[in-house]
Amino acid sequence: MLEKLSHILFSSRVLLPDLLFGVVFLVIVAAIAFSQKLDTERTYVLFNVLIISVLISIGFVFYAFFGFYKQYFESGSVLFGQLIYLDSVSLFFKLIISIASVAVLIHVWVVGYKVVGEFYAIFIALVWGLFIMTMTTNWLMLYVSLEMVSICSYILVVFNKGKNNSEAGIKYLLFGATSSAIMLYGISFLYGMTGTLNFVGQEFATFLSQNSTWIAQIAIFMTIGGLLFKLSAVPFHSWTPDVYEATPTPIVAFLSIAPKAAVVLVLIRLFSSLSIDFRMILAIVIMASITIGNLSALWQTNTKRMLGYSTIAHAGFMLVGLLATNIIGIQSTIFYIATYLFITLAAFLLIDLLALKTESYELESLRGLGQENIFLGLAAVIIMIALVGLPPTVGFTGKLLLFTALWESYQTSGSNMLLIVLIFGLLNTAISIFYYIKIPYFMIFKEPKIGVRYYQIGIIRKGFLLIFLFFIIYLFLRPSGLLNLIESLKLA
Amino acid sequence: MNNFLLSTLIFLPIIGSVIVLLLPSTYRDSFRWISLIVSVINLLNIFTLYNNFDGQSSDYQFVEQHEWIRMSLGNLGVLSIDYLLGLDGINMPMVLLSGIILLIGSIASFTIEYRPKAYHSLYLLLSGSIIGCFAALDFFLFFLFFEFMLLPMYFLIGIWGGERREYAAIKFFIYTLVGSIFILIVMIGLSMSVQDSFFSQEMGGTVHTFDFRQLTDFKNYIPHSILHPVEKQLIFGMPARLFAFVLLIIGFGIKLPSVPFHTWLPDAHVEAPTPVSVVLAGILLKVGAYGFIRIAYGFFPDIAYQFTYIVAGAGVISIIYGAYNALAQEDLKKMIAYSSISHMGFVLLGLASMTVEGVNGAIYQMFGHGLVSAMLFLVAGVIYDRTHNRLIENFRGLSSVMPYFTLAVTVAFFGALGLPTLPGFMGEFFTIMGGFQSEILPDWVSMLAMLGIVLSAGYFLWTLQKMFFGTFWANRNQEENMKDLDFREIVMLYSLAALSIIFGIFPSLIFDISGESVKAFLNGFYI
Repeated sequence: MLEKLSHILFSSRVLLPDLLFGVVFLVIVAAIAFSQKLDTERTYVLFNVLIISVLISIGFVFYAFFGFYKQYFESGSVLFGQLIYLDSVSLFFKLIISIASVAVLIHVWVVGYKVVGEFYAIFIALVWGLFIMTMTTNWLMLYVSLEMVSICSYILVVFNKGKNNSEAGIKYLLFGATSSAIMLYGISFLYGMTGTLNFVGQEFATFLSQNSTWIAQIAIFMTIGGLLFKLSAVPFHSWTPDVYEATPTPIVAFLSIAPKAAVVLVLIRLFSSLSIDFRMILAIVIMASITIGNLSALWQTNTKRMLGYSTIAHAGFMLVGLLATNIIGIQSTIFYIATYLFITLAAFLLIDLLALKTESYELESLRGLGQENIFLGLAAVIIMIALVGLPPTVGFTGKLLLFTALWESYQTSGSNMLLIVLIFGLLNTAISIFYYIKIPYFMIFKEPKIGVRYYQIGIIRKGFLLIFLFFIIYLFLRPSGLLNLIESLKLA
Repeated sequence: MNNFLLSTLIFLPIIGSVIVLLLPSTYRDSFRWISLIVSVINLLNIFTLYNNFDGQSSDYQFVEQHEWIRMSLGNLGVLSIDYLLGLDGINMPMVLLSGIILLIGSIASFTIEYRPKAYHSLYLLLSGSIIGCFAALDFFLFFLFFEFMLLPMYFLIGIWGGERREYAAIKFFIYTLVGSIFILIVMIGLSMSVQDSFFSQEMGGTVHTFDFRQLTDFKNYIPHSILHPVEKQLIFGMPARLFAFVLLIIGFGIKLPSVPFHTWLPDAHVEAPTPVSVVLAGILLKVGAYGFIRIAYGFFPDIAYQFTYIVAGAGVISIIYGAYNALAQEDLKKMIAYSSISHMGFVLLGLASMTVEGVNGAIYQMFGHGLVSAMLFLVAGVIYDRTHNRLIENFRGLSSVMPYFTLAVTVAFFGALGLPTLPGFMGEFFTIMGGFQSEILPDWVSMLAMLGIVLSAGYFLWTLQKMFFGTFWANRNQEENMKDLDFREIVMLYSLAALSIIFGIFPSLIFDISGESVKAFLNGFYI
């Protein structure tokens, strides 16, 4: 009894940041009750953004600080009786999520969005949910954290009441609820088969392999349905373009990386302990995501919708490393996500900065903007070729590592399916250039409608975008630091 | 002292490009001077390299090696990527050619008035990546520069091009990108199949490498790897190495370009501005040919044997099909573009013969065609600058008003059609001789290729006759615009003409450099 109690006490000490997030959430909600007012002044926004950023950073540093207790860190520590599992990998993903959230908050301020106070409350709850999701190895905890993330996302999507907002919000909610239900159904199957809620243990693996393979595959597929929904992978992708088009850009930017990173971590954990062959279904999901994402993006005329489809394709690429089922595959996936973080945030920031001038996200409205502001034209080229995956950007390194891992796996297993995925992925890279290049193409090649009018973007906006561009190029030239960090993670 | 010279060749233009970008756009005149000065310095450096090059050795010289990326693949070993540059007899002529053509191109760029800052910045970026591509001895580095050439080229065609520039630019981009993706697949496969023999022993594990020197040595292949030359691994029932070789042929065949992957070239050439056409025809096509020699043949000699007929066939078809197409063209630039396809076919023929003469001839043909095609596109540019018109039928009797121009055109045309003492002759002669000597090629292949020479004489001489002889006349009352060459054009055309004659009379300037390396290269085939 006493032992249990001290375990709980110890665990709660580790999870202090979560308590912090909870308290902050409540404080903000309470504070809003007393001052129901829109933050129209940019200084207010800056003030709030800074506070929240600092809080999230503190939260992360808390975890990181805990990481210094080597004995808990090396093998990962099990907290709250197997409900929470904290190790170096989750810490790394927390870092990704923290960077994304701080960047998105700065994005809100830099571009000058008008936000109400609740935004901060919901946002911090969202980050909280994601932090928990990176530490879960338990179906129950996974579902709770996933719902936490989902509900916060639903609210954030409809926050800025616009024309299509409610439609997108309803779509998001309906698809989300359905996939959650499917996931729960799948979990109930898995629990029935294995009798355990912990999905990384030996118990889970042994009992799962005792069932017939196809029923286990179906159960797993249903279970990861909820995760694939967050990842916007086919066949759970159809909400993506509508939501991306209607939602304020910073939130889209956040949704395009942070939940995906957390979900991929869960998938990494699940697949590294999976005792049945799941590669066939995964390969189909990957090929469908990459192809449908890319082919649909070809016809888009709205940049945000286009990037929405592009994230579907990238979701497929993120899963490629998991298909390789070797350690380098997992490492490349983590590398890919860590670098995609900078690329996607930069892409959304770029189109938002352009929209400041044009007040539209249509491709047609970008005409000649690159001629009027060479910096933005250059930035568009770099970001878009990074999304395609061409040198000299880190997008190339990420894709190269993924495909190297896949090839290595093919060489050892001799499974033709892997080769097909490889060729599929590479050919799709060639297709994707068609639509990614459209943005710089319209900006630089097309003449503006009313002559060239030079315009400036502020030094802060420029500097903020430059940080991302720096990382996109720097990580290509010197990937060793990040690679060593990823190698040092204790992967299952 | 030569330890950093190759890097200087690559990074000087890139630094120049950044400087141009950072200067305010009001300094309009300075941009062209910066790119000219950079090109001159580069050419002088290349001459230094050329002088110090030891033709008696087949080793790589001026090698620079720095560790770049080391990635541990867990129990699969280490992936090692180096910043590795070096020259041997195969790429030394190409670097020399790049230096010459890039300088000519930067002189030709003096007339660019539309957004010169962006233009010269991109041009310098292109220069750096071209030389990097030729000098790289690491497959990864090679691929990087190979890909990176695309972007500046895309913008140079797409912004400063003719009417259908956007279509031509995107077509060029997509074609080459698809090709480079094929190359990428092979690159990944090769690096996963080959280990660095030295480091692997030293570090006690597998070190996957991209080093050209390691990739050519069959001893370095990891047992049971997918591209192992002796164990015939199958992919979809086809030998894996065959599969890889086909991918490389397509990849570099697009860049070369060889029929049937050539359709981007006439579009790109016709729409590109003159200096970009010069660089495109003079150097970029050679990148494809260089890739053929160094990578497709260098790494897969066993498969190359089986593919002799196909490669030689593609060469001969390019020669004849390109020549017939050129005969039918009314647009001067398009005719020259098709003649490029035709002449690059000789490179494939010489390579496929796998004889010392053939491969040396192929390298010489690349060099010679680089000089001559640059001249040809400058000629087309001269006419287009004056009249904004390039149709052959619109001009007659130009020799009476433009004597200096006519002399340059004559040298260029005769150089291209293969008059002895000019570079076209030596290249074609040696490649065809290689074809006849080769034990693996039947004689009729080389005879067909000779038909190409006759055809090229046909279209060049007819063009010369139609445009330059007879009574002077220019369509649409352009007569008063037809002034003779100005100083800048004389410098460009006559220096190229002089170089053509020098290299045509003394082909040993190239053969002395390439001979030993080609011998070593071919010896690798018979192990």
